[in-house]
Amino acid sequence: MTEAQSRQAHPSIAAGIQSYAGAVALVAVSTLIDLWIAPRWGTAAVDMIYLPAVLAAAALWGLGPALVAGATAALAYNFFFTEPVHTFRMDRVADVVTVVVLLIVALVTSRLASAIRSQAQLAAAHAVRNATIAGFAGRLLSCSGAEDIARTACAELHRLFDCNVMLVEGLPEPRVVSGAPDGNRLTPSDVAAAALTIESGEPAGRGTARLQPAEWMFHPVRSGEDVLAAVGLARDDGLLPVGEDDLPLLANLLDQIALALARARAEDESREVAALRERDHLRSALLSSVGHDLRTPLTGIIGAAAELRHDGGNDPALVATVECEAGKLERYISNLLDMARIEAGAVKLKTEPVDLVDSVAAAIKDIRPTLGDHPVSVDLPDDLPLVRADAELLHHCLINLIDNAGRYSSPKGPIRVAAAAARGEVRLSVEDEGPGLPQDAERALDAFSRISGSDRKGGTGLGLAIVKAFAQAMGAKVLASNREGGSGAIFTVLFPKMLVVKASDTADAG
Amino acid sequence: MPARAAKVLVVDDEPQIRTLLKATLTRAGYSVVEAGSGREALNAKTIDKPDLVLLDLGLPDRDGLELVTLLRNEPRTALIVISARDQTEQKVAALDLGADDYVTKPFDTEELLARVRASLRQRLASEAERQVVEVGRITIDLLERMVRRDAEEVHLTPKEWILLAELAKHPGRVLTHHALLRTVWGPAHVGQTEYLRVAIRALRQKLEDTPSQPKLIVNEPGVGYRLIAKV
Repeated sequence: MTEAQSRQAHPSIAAGIQSYAGAVALVAVSTLIDLWIAPRWGTAAVDMIYLPAVLAAAALWGLGPALVAGATAALAYNFFFTEPVHTFRMDRVADVVTVVVLLIVALVTSRLASAIRSQAQLAAAHAVRNATIAGFAGRLLSCSGAEDIARTACAELHRLFDCNVMLVEGLPEPRVVSGAPDGNRLTPSDVAAAALTIESGEPAGRGTARLQPAEWMFHPVRSGEDVLAAVGLARDDGLLPVGEDDLPLLANLLDQIALALARARAEDESREVAALRERDHLRSALLSSVGHDLRTPLTGIIGAAAELRHDGGNDPALVATVECEAGKLERYISNLLDMARIEAGAVKLKTEPVDLVDSVAAAIKDIRPTLGDHPVSVDLPDDLPLVRADAELLHHCLINLIDNAGRYSSPKGPIRVAAAAARGEVRLSVEDEGPGLPQDAERALDAFSRISGSDRKGGTGLGLAIVKAFAQAMGAKVLASNREGGSGAIFTVLFPKMLVVKASDTADAG
Repeated sequence: MPARAAKVLVVDDEPQIRTLLKATLTRAGYSVVEAGSGREALNAKTIDKPDLVLLDLGLPDRDGLELVTLLRNEPRTALIVISARDQTEQKVAALDLGADDYVTKPFDTEELLARVRASLRQRLASEAERQVVEVGRITIDLLERMVRRDAEEVHLTPKEWILLAELAKHPGRVLTHHALLRTVWGPAHVGQTEYLRVAIRALRQKLEDTPSQPKLIVNEPGVGYRLIAKV
């Protein structure tokens, strides 16, 4: 017996003695009243006077004192009021009946009273338990964040069950999130029990059905199907930390922890979403502001160069160089911003049926001023099907592919843009007559993903990376290969069947 | 050039862009009024009564699209928006709100002047000029409803004619995909871009020297079509 339990035992023994003495005292008082009544009005009502005493003893102190009261009352009645008086002998049947009735009353009343009392005690115990759970839930409610919840929960359980408590989470190796008192270590068998609890959602360890060799007893903290964590309980003296009687209370408290943890998790997630949104917002604001800041001076330079060209009196070649280089710079900036948009996941897709004739013509018009002397030939069949694409993304793809072809050709090397439909697919390709790609086709495709290459020609990796990312966003593929019968590279944007518009869909255009 | 030089209101918050635009426009014979903010622009619209407004959509003090409506109407004024490259949606919205055309920063000044001329043409051209549009070897007679390539008449389907006529009524100006679909096929078909693509291709095959490399009817990716005409 622990110290606390033995301290509790003494008052209950004292109370027992008191209640028996009380029962006897009640009977004594009744006897005195009877002794006063009997000489005056006879002994007819005397036995009735004992009834309240027995009832009172039963109601106040329960079965034992009630029986003592009943027996004492019977003896006193027998001794003082039945013939022969002042003996314990009984001659009359009526007297025997009185004694028996007194005992039965004592028995029945005390039963009833003790039933009522134990219900009251139960209700009181329930009230205490509900108050415990409510208090526990309240303290968890005021916690902010999962760690705070774990710490408070451990401290509270430690106080309520008078044992060591820890909260563990994570698989396959659960780690201690919080403990009360701090610094408890787990043995390998405890870790196994904790892991089993989290994995299965059932208790494990000491005092449970599974992994009993563990020192700690683990109970799951569950929210619906999920096991959020496990709570471990143990005592320094090696006794069971939680008795059978307290398991329902513990289960209730664990549910409260689960609620609090789930709430904290939901709060964390919504905070994260808000932060993410904020960051995306900031990023796109930054992008558009950088784009604006870089383009404004460029607009000035390009416009001023055009005015110089009109002015005359300047070296036309120099002015042309300014215009051409400023145009190139503009494209690098565009590529940088496009790449940033891709990396930020900010590419918006606006798909529509597109005529590749339009796309190729627009791309050549835009790239022409900075392309130098490369002749560009176009080979698009009259009956080329329309494709579903984002016209703008495709525009930037084509500009980069043509620019790339120009970069890797000799100064006047021809560039060919062609498209063809076959087997329901449409292929749009840009060819040059430069040295071509390295032998290994895989390595050639690797160039797409190389964003920060040490390429002397600069910007190339970026341009192709953008081509690949934009094509992928549209659902198209990019292929790289070498020309057959002569040197040169071919980059092809492949529109799969699902992106090709069937001729029947456009039949009723009128 | 008409007797009175057309007046252009330049609205941009960047002083160096205003300076550049003023130099370019003055060289081309226009008189120029400047505004650095939405408020200044609205004042200038009332006081100076410009013939055309060049409006940067990215002003700090007022929403660009709101200004499009305010600066274009009462009295009706030609309006060209200046926008960033990655603002296609805004460009299209501005055109749908009644802007006549757009240029993208950094713009080519010659292209800008061509847009200005095309946008002013509607107000300044004579009746006769408006009835017959010449584009390269093609003559489009809007009154006679007839198209000639060199001297030879070209036969168009009714839809092709409505489409070409719509483009020819606004020579040199971009018309959005939506606007063309609405005019030619009706409001129920504004989503059917493929109709437009097919009809444009048919027109090119009848009118262009090399239909796969169009020079007369050109596309602005994601925006619309433009009939390239000497104005």
